[in-house]
Amino acid sequence: MGRDLRRSRLVVAVLLIITFALITIDYRTGESSGGARGVVHTVVGGIENGVTSVVRPIGRTVSSLVHPNRYHDRADELARENADLRRQLADRGEVTRQAAELSDLRLLADKGQYTIVPARVIAIGDVSGTDWTVTVNAGKADGLAVDKIVINSAGLVGTVVSLTDHTAVVRLFCDPRSRIGARLEGTQLLGSVAGGSGPNKLVFTLYDASYRVRPGERLVTFGSLDYVAGVPIGEVTKVTDADGLSRTAEVRPYVSVGTLDLVGVVVGKPPVDPGDRVLPPRATPPAAGGSSG
Amino acid sequence: MSVQLFEPDREGEVHPLTLAALVLLLLTAAVTQVSVVARLPLPGGHPDLVLVLLATAALLEGPITGAVLGFVVGLFGDLMSTHVLGRSALVCCLLGYLVGLLADVTERSVLIALLVVSGAVAGGALANVAVAGLISDDAGAPGQAFLHALVAGLYAAVLTPFLFPALAAGVRRTRRVRWARRP
Repeated sequence: MGRDLRRSRLVVAVLLIITFALITIDYRTGESSGGARGVVHTVVGGIENGVTSVVRPIGRTVSSLVHPNRYHDRADELARENADLRRQLADRGEVTRQAAELSDLRLLADKGQYTIVPARVIAIGDVSGTDWTVTVNAGKADGLAVDKIVINSAGLVGTVVSLTDHTAVVRLFCDPRSRIGARLEGTQLLGSVAGGSGPNKLVFTLYDASYRVRPGERLVTFGSLDYVAGVPIGEVTKVTDADGLSRTAEVRPYVSVGTLDLVGVVVGKPPVDPGDRVLPPRATPPAAGGSSG
Repeated sequence: MSVQLFEPDREGEVHPLTLAALVLLLLTAAVTQVSVVARLPLPGGHPDLVLVLLATAALLEGPITGAVLGFVVGLFGDLMSTHVLGRSALVCCLLGYLVGLLADVTERSVLIALLVVSGAVAGGALANVAVAGLISDDAGAPGQAFLHALVAGLYAAVLTPFLFPALAAGVRRTRRVRWARRP
């Protein structure tokens, strides 16, 4: 018994030393998508893609279990037919939903003249549940590159962080490591939105302290060499710091990360900055004096 | 009709075939977790399949198998992700070892196993967030982490009554194969 315990301590100590070594080495060399990690991404991505196409109906089955209907239990012909029809209806609903989602995405991309590659989410997060990332089923072979912006029909989703031939990992805007250049609607002042405060909240920092940020103002991406300008991000809900050297505000994002399915990776930029036209038109015009010459 | 699910075995003995089968099971669970479980429309959050299976396996097989199993599946999870390599391996290895130490205490009772597994899953979820915060400053809001851990623990309590006997039966079967092969 004592010998066994000592042996198990030895094993766990060796394994822990290996993990610490790995953490140190990987931390120093930085993120790499090559080597063993690239191989695992490729293999697992293929499996995930297959699994997703096979088990996509599981979600529907679970929702039909949550709303049970007694027809499934009765073994007569009518009940089976009924269940069949219901399933067909559900399938039809799913197809319609996908079509609507795709056309909304196209509409948004056309407004900004973005060239997009549509992709579907095939895996969410990581095993430890701490990463805000999704894996999508498009990769290098489809023309994607690292740092490209990912959108869905509501606006900004995140940026591509690593790639294999047929899959890509997208870091969502709410990941603590995510930091994306942003500007307020109607201005050219640079700021950035950072994640880390949960899926429904972003922190916006404006680097110009002379501008007064007001709740209700909307944000779009600033645009740079890597990523496109004008993608809707969200709406300012609360100004948190009005006195320091920079302004910070809480932002409610347009995209809800809980229901991500169809996304588009922006691979081509429009010839000119699309400005604010990608934002949905306002229901009520902003207060007088809102526009500056 | 015996209630005994599992013949007590000598502690610390590693059965290669059992270990291989468990590794395979956990790697499958890791892929299933991100591509199936994470997108199910379940209330509150999601069960953590990997931690539940790891804790159950460690409880059945003892600390050495638990630590090795946790290390392997954690490393696999790290390789699948974009965060620092070795982060989940550290948490899962420790979790497997510590739960494995309790293998004696539980005396093969499903009720105690249930408490241990749910506690381990909730603790593991919290440890993941804590280690993430320590290593690379990318932990989210603490309130959210606690909620996530609580939900994961509750789902573990729901799953364990099914998974524990099933896994125990599976482990027993792999042992029988090994013994049958022996001259």
